[in-house]
Amino acid sequence: MVRVTQVVEARVLGEGDWIAATEICQICRLDLESVLELAQLGIVSSREHAPGEWQVAATALPRLRVAGRLIQDLGVNVSGAALALELLEAQRELERRLRRLERLERLGPNY
Amino acid sequence: MEFRDYYKILGVERSASADQIKTAYRRLARKYHPDVSKEPNAEARFKEMQEAYEVLRDPEKRAAYDQLGSDWKSGQSFHPPPDWGRGFEFSGRPTGGGGGRQYYTGRGAGGAAGEEDFSDFFSSLFGGGSPFAGAAARGGGRDHHARIDITLEEAYRGTTRMLELKRPEVKPDGSVELRSHTVRVTIPAGVSEGQLIRLAGQGEPATGPGNAGDLYLETHILPDKVFALDNRDVTITLPVAPWEAALGASVMVPTLGGPVEMRIPAGAQSGQKLRLRGRGLPGSSPGDQYVQLKVVLPPADSPQAKALYEEMRSKLGFDPRATEVR
Repeated sequence: MVRVTQVVEARVLGEGDWIAATEICQICRLDLESVLELAQLGIVSSREHAPGEWQVAATALPRLRVAGRLIQDLGVNVSGAALALELLEAQRELERRLRRLERLERLGPNY
Repeated sequence: MEFRDYYKILGVERSASADQIKTAYRRLARKYHPDVSKEPNAEARFKEMQEAYEVLRDPEKRAAYDQLGSDWKSGQSFHPPPDWGRGFEFSGRPTGGGGGRQYYTGRGAGGAAGEEDFSDFFSSLFGGGSPFAGAAARGGGRDHHARIDITLEEAYRGTTRMLELKRPEVKPDGSVELRSHTVRVTIPAGVSEGQLIRLAGQGEPATGPGNAGDLYLETHILPDKVFALDNRDVTITLPVAPWEAALGASVMVPTLGGPVEMRIPAGAQSGQKLRLRGRGLPGSSPGDQYVQLKVVLPPADSPQAKALYEEMRSKLGFDPRATEVR
């Protein structure tokens, strides 16, 4: 096997970055209509950069990637994916709280 | 390589209809989808199912797979027959067509691997270079995705990772060669859970006009023993003595950037949260660290300690339940 070593510049997509909705489609395996529908449902922040040119906040990428996978792999529609996303996030928040309580409990019974 | 029984993986008969296969896949996908499943090995199971579905949903691939015969068992040693693919007509649809079903991952301390995770068995029958790969689409390459696990400390300080990416490339003579690229990636300080890191041009190579795809790394921050992470904020639980809470005290507190001195105000209570502004994960708006106090009582296990407790009881006249509504 041929081995090649490269140094690659990494670009973190984070707060303050906006990505064209068309590019989002490629990254998240979603069609444009679905991306805009998810924005309308309040799942992600979007803005109309120029007439007809929509952009989505880069911070929304993880949510959109999950939405894309749910739609592609489970065959749910956009509303179903939005609902699943919100329920999954609520579940994670509850799990976080549970872990925090368990951590306190481990420290002793006098709390 | 080992034979894979795709029908068994999806739990269907060899005579199953396309609808039955789709239903079986969807049912299993709901159970094992890595985004929703709590099942052990969900990700591995899901990939296996995706691979099986990729073949059985496609009439051409399914027909060819069926030609191998029904005597094979999962795990049996397997090599493609020398005349593999002969006698079929193919639509030329690239492998993974229909939306690109790849689910990439890459875990472990060594970093991420960004290659498609279908088995060698699949690759030998339907991958690049096989008749089923068809005429590859001439154009730009697709984006690839991988997950990268980092510790909370690495997220705070930034880190460098060497990623080994294996990638099939078509040589001028048409044969396919697996090339291994080691990519050094600097992950800057302050990445948060689920954040994407883009490595331009590190996805699928272009097979015609157009650029190579990009590689996206999705960061996953591993749970920490001391700090609980919530977006950019971190929380720790700090045990304190009753007199530290009652009288106030200066104590050393661990933070992601190292220990700092923190003032506990007099009259603090167990469970109270104190904030260390800007001591969470860095960023344009850095997170905070929350310190949750936990008052720990000294044990009354000596005559001296017992005497002190007796003295508090007689002199303080304290009733912790005085204000409780019953």
